[in-house]
Amino acid sequence: MPEGRAELAVGEDQFLWQAAGRAGIALPSRCRIGWCLSCAARLLAPGEVDQGAARRYFAEDRAAGFILPCTARPRSDLIVLTHQAEAMRQHRLGLGLPASLG
Amino acid sequence: MAEAKKIGYGDLSGRVGVEEIRARGVDVDKLIRKLIANAAAEFSSTYYYYTILRMHLAGYEDYKEICEDARLEDRAHWELIVPRIYELGGELPNDLPTFHNQAGCAPAKLPDPPTAVNILTLLLESERCAIRSWGEICDLTVGKDPRTYDMAARILNEEIEHEAWFIELLAHERDGKSIPSGHFRRGEPGEAPYSKNRRFYNP
Repeated sequence: MPEGRAELAVGEDQFLWQAAGRAGIALPSRCRIGWCLSCAARLLAPGEVDQGAARRYFAEDRAAGFILPCTARPRSDLIVLTHQAEAMRQHRLGLGLPASLG
Repeated sequence: MAEAKKIGYGDLSGRVGVEEIRARGVDVDKLIRKLIANAAAEFSSTYYYYTILRMHLAGYEDYKEICEDARLEDRAHWELIVPRIYELGGELPNDLPTFHNQAGCAPAKLPDPPTAVNILTLLLESERCAIRSWGEICDLTVGKDPRTYDMAARILNEEIEHEAWFIELLAHERDGKSIPSGHFRRGEPGEAPYSKNRRFYNP
């Protein structure tokens, strides 16, 4: 897992993953439509995210602070910890929610 | 290379074929998990390609044929992956919805509206997800697990060709442009030149 901090601006209609890529930050992602959890990240402070474009995102994900940057449109300033695919998978499985194994 | 765990004479509780690749550095549990996710995605795509192809591309006979090639080859991939999962000591869920939910790529559900452009876009992105998925398996196994690597590389070859087909078709249909795939049609539907190397072979 990479280390370090980065700060970036995300346009209103941009996805977080897309903005990171344009800023030279290569975040993981496989499906790029909010299904596979490869890009999963976690909010380190309260923030607003529109996950309406994700194919599979649950209220429980939001409550636990998990987001899917490939389909996440920030609606406030965010502090995000990336590379949380396994943590999000375990969160889903622990609650009996569907989770990709990939 | 670490020494492989010893499997005793006549011992059925372990597999030399697994311990040897584990000793070479393969995370076998992770590999099994990813193979199940990829198997679910291939299985799911063969289902959804039916709904898209057979029901909603009327009037686009050439698109239908090419989609059918991709569907049959994805089915061949599914059939190729499953034996390897069991060889490695894994197993498929005994429940189809559970299996579906474990897929590493999203189901290719019919887009709304189901225009040729929307369908081709969805098929293109579906193939791209498959390319990323099989690239991951190649990365996990290269130089360590030749059997899984060989299988993954064969599948990856076909997924890359499928992407080229859908780029060509979408460029034509959506943008009125020519972006050749560089390929001619398969000899027959579902030929799967890389992954189905022996007709009717399904261990």
